[in-house]
Amino acid sequence: MTTRIEVADLVVRYGEQTAVNGVSFSVGRGEHVTLLGPSGCGKTTTLRSIAGLEQPTGGSISIDGQAMFDAGARKNVPAEQRGVSMVFQSYAVWPHMTVFDNVAYGLRVRKQSGPEIRAAVERALDLVQMRALADRPASKLSGGQQQRVALARAIAFSPTVVLFDEPLSNLDAKLRAEMRVELRELQRRLDITSVYVTHDQEEALAISDRVIVMNVGVIEQIGTPEQIYNSPRNRFVADFVGSANILKGRVMGAGTFAAEGGTVLKFTAPHAPTGQETEVAVRTAYIDLVGREGDNQLTGHVRQRMFHGDFVQYIVECACGRLIVRRPPTNLLEEGAPVMLSFSASHTVLLQS
Amino acid sequence: MNHSRFNWQPVISAAVVVVVAFLVLLPLVFLVEESLNTGDPMAFPPQQFGIANYIAMFDEDINVLVNTVVIALMATAMAIVIGFSLAWILTRTNVRGRELLERLMELPYYMTPLVGALAWSVIAGPKSGFVNQLWHAWGGKGDIVDVYSYFGIAWIMALFEGTVAFVMISASMKSMDPALEESARVMGASKLRTMLTVTLPLVMPGVLGATLFVFAEMLGSFAAALVIGIPARIYVITTAIWDSTLSYPPDYGRASAMGLSLFVVMFGMLSFYRWRINKGSYATITGKAFRPRPMDMGRLAWLLVGVCLLYIAVAVVLPLGALIFTSLQKFATVILSQSAFTLDNYRTALGLGPIRLALRNSLMLGFGVATVGVILMALLVWIIYRSRIRGAGAIEYLVMFPQAVPRLVFGLALLWAWLNIPIPIYGTLWLLALAYLTVMLPLGVRTLAGVVLQIDKSLEECARVCGAGWLYQMTTVTLPLLRPGILAAWLLIFMACVRELGTSVFLMGPNAKVIAPSIVAAFASSGTELTAAMALIQTGTVVLALVILFRLTRGVTKEMT
Repeated sequence: MTTRIEVADLVVRYGEQTAVNGVSFSVGRGEHVTLLGPSGCGKTTTLRSIAGLEQPTGGSISIDGQAMFDAGARKNVPAEQRGVSMVFQSYAVWPHMTVFDNVAYGLRVRKQSGPEIRAAVERALDLVQMRALADRPASKLSGGQQQRVALARAIAFSPTVVLFDEPLSNLDAKLRAEMRVELRELQRRLDITSVYVTHDQEEALAISDRVIVMNVGVIEQIGTPEQIYNSPRNRFVADFVGSANILKGRVMGAGTFAAEGGTVLKFTAPHAPTGQETEVAVRTAYIDLVGREGDNQLTGHVRQRMFHGDFVQYIVECACGRLIVRRPPTNLLEEGAPVMLSFSASHTVLLQS
Repeated sequence: MNHSRFNWQPVISAAVVVVVAFLVLLPLVFLVEESLNTGDPMAFPPQQFGIANYIAMFDEDINVLVNTVVIALMATAMAIVIGFSLAWILTRTNVRGRELLERLMELPYYMTPLVGALAWSVIAGPKSGFVNQLWHAWGGKGDIVDVYSYFGIAWIMALFEGTVAFVMISASMKSMDPALEESARVMGASKLRTMLTVTLPLVMPGVLGATLFVFAEMLGSFAAALVIGIPARIYVITTAIWDSTLSYPPDYGRASAMGLSLFVVMFGMLSFYRWRINKGSYATITGKAFRPRPMDMGRLAWLLVGVCLLYIAVAVVLPLGALIFTSLQKFATVILSQSAFTLDNYRTALGLGPIRLALRNSLMLGFGVATVGVILMALLVWIIYRSRIRGAGAIEYLVMFPQAVPRLVFGLALLWAWLNIPIPIYGTLWLLALAYLTVMLPLGVRTLAGVVLQIDKSLEECARVCGAGWLYQMTTVTLPLLRPGILAAWLLIFMACVRELGTSVFLMGPNAKVIAPSIVAAFASSGTELTAAMALIQTGTVVLALVILFRLTRGVTKEMT
C-alpha cells in the first residue's frame, strides 16, 4: 500500500493556545482512517489543515508525495489547489442553487464540458439515491437529503482524497446508523482515500480501517478498530473507546498483577517491569458472571442492575472494588445475588501510565 | 485546473484599507489642527497654536453646554419611558397583533427629526399652531402649547429616539431565558414578585445601556434644535457650531473646538457602552434566541395596544397629517370655514428651479452612493469578518468610527479638510458623495454584516475545497448569498442619503444643493405651506424605498423558512 497522505510533526497554534501539538501519521492509498477524540482534541483542526483551510504553525503535510504544507520551506498550497474534497459538518449545501448545481460545482470549476458534467453529476446522485431530486432548490431539502447532496458533491469530481468532518453528527440516531452503512459501502466501491473526523467512538470503530485516537492535541494511539478496542494503550483510550473497568495496582512478576484490595490477576503483555505501579483495563463486555473457567476469577454480589434493552448492566461489588459488567439481556440476575466473575488473561490489558 | 493562480486577496484588501482610512481619519486630523488654531481662523495651515478656542467655549458658551445637557436629559428620560413601555408590551405580554405592531414601531425612525420638527411647529407653534388656533376659536386667551421651548425640542427628539430605545430594550428582553422567570414561579413567587426580583434586575443592564446610547445620540442631534431652537433662541452645542460658521468672519476654530469636544464626549460614552456589552456583564445575553413566554393580560391587553397605537399616532400619523393638511392650503388653518385648498405648493415645490435641482441632486446622490457604497461595504464586510487577514479588528473599528462622530462635526471636519486638500471638489456634488459614503459606512457594514454572519463559513470553505479560486468563490457563492442583504443595504443607504442633513449643511455649495438643507432654508425664508410640501415630497421618496424594502425583506424571510 503506497502512502497517499503524510502528516509529520503537525503543530497548530492560535495565539497562546496549541490546538495540535506534534501530530504525525500517514494514510495509505484507498485507506479509511478516522481521527477520534473528544471535542477540543485537535482532530478537526488536523483535518482542516490537510484541506488547507487552516494555517498550521509547524510540521509538514504532503499528498501523493507533493508537499502541501511545509513550515520549513514556508510553503502552503491554497485549499483550491490541493485537489482534495471535503464533507462539512454543517453540510454546507449552497441554498441558492439546485441540487444539480451544487453537485456540478467542482466539475464546473474544473472546466469540464456540459455532457461530461451531466454524466458525472448523475452518477454521483445515483450513488446517494438523489437523482430524482436533481432540480430541487437545495433550500427545500431535509437534513438527511442535504447530507446526501453534500456527499454527492464531494465525490462528483472524482477526487482521490475525501475528508469528512463529523458528517453524521447532525442527523438523528436512526438515520445516522443507516448513513454509516451507506458510507462504508461507498468507500469500498469508489476506491477513495478518506480521513474521517468524529467524536463518536462507535462510528469510528464501525467505518474505519484504522483509528487514530487523539486527546489535547496529541495522538494517544493508532491501530485497527480491533486493536484499539482489545488492546488500549493507556487509560484515556480504554476509557474513551468502549467501556472498561480500570483497576489500580502493581506488577508482581511475569504476567501477574496485584490490584488494590489484594486481588491477584493474570494478564498477557510482552513485558512489564516488576513492581511498577500501574493500571489494568478489563472491557465490561468480556466479563462472565456464571463462573466459567477463566484465568481470572473473583467472587462478589450484584449491587445494581440496569436494563438497557440490547444489554444489561450490572454493578458488581467484589474485593477489588465495584466492577461494571455488561451481559446480554437473557438470564437476568437479581440485585443482591452472589456471582462468580471470570475473564481471561488476554482480556486483562496492562495500561501504560 | 488552469484557472488564475494569482492571489488577489491581499491586493484588494490593502487597497480598501487605504481608502477607508483616508475617508474616515483624514478629516478628523484637520479638525484637530483647526481647533488649536488661535491665529487667523481662515488661515490654512494655521500659523499659531493654542487652546484658546477650548477656553472660550467654557467662558462664553457655558449656557449652550447647560442647554445641551438639560434638553438631552429631558429627551432621554422621555425616550426611555416610551421605549421601555413599548418593549415590555410587545415582548412580554400577549397583546394581539404583536408582529404587526412591532413593525409599525419602526415607522417613527423613518420620519426623521427634521420632518417631526416641521410638523410639530405646525401643530403646536404659538399663535398659528393648530392646537392654539382651535383654542382661540373656542374662545381661549393666549397660547396653551408652545413647542418653541426646551420641552418642545426634547419632545420632538424623544418621539424619534423612542423607537431606538424600543429596539434596544426589547432586544435585551427577548434574549432572556424564560426559564429564569419560570423557576421563580415554580418556587412559589407571585407574578409581581417575579417581575420585581427576577425580570427587572435582569433587564436593567439593557435599559441602562439603551439610556447611555440614546443620551449620547441626543447630545449630537441637530435637526430639531435647528428648526425649533434657533427661532426660539435656545442654542445647543450643535446649533452653536453651525452658528459660529455663519458669523462673519466664520469662526472655524471655535466650531472645531466645540465639535471635537462633542465628539470626545460621545465617543467616550459609546466606547463605555460597547465595553460594558463586550465584558459580558449581561447575564441575560447568551447569544441564544429565546421565545419569551408572554404574560396573559386579560382585558388590559386592549389598553396596552392603545398605548402602542398612541405612540404611532403622536409620532407618525399626527405629524404627517398636519403636514399634508398644511401643504394643501394657501394659508395653514384648521378652521375649515377659512381654508382654501390648493395644490399650488406642490406645483411650486416641483416647479421652482432650485428646489427641483436640490431634489434631483439628492436622488442622484442616493443612487450613486448606495450603488458604489454597497460594493465597497460588501468588500469591507468580507475582509473584516471572513478573510482572517491581520488587523481585521482594526479595520472594523475604523469602519464603525463615523458612528461615534456626530454628523454635523463630520461635515465640519470634511469641510475643513477639503478646503485644504488641493483637489477642487469643495462645493460640488463629488464632495457630498464622498461625505455620504463615509458617514453611511457603519449603517451599510452593519446591515451587510448581519447577513454575512448568518452565512455558514463552511459554505465558502466548501467552494475552495471544490477547487474554486477566491474570485470564483466570491462570484458563485458569497455574492449570490449576500444578494438580499445587499439590496436591503442599498435601500437603507439610499433613504439615509435622501434624508441627510447634518453633513450636508456644511458641504452644500451654491451649485450643489440637496433637499434636506433646502427644506430648512425654505422654512426660515418662505411659508410653512411650501416647506410642508417639500418635506412631504422627500418623505414620499423615503416611503417608496421603505415599501420596497419591506416587501423585499418579507420575501427573503419567506424564502429562508
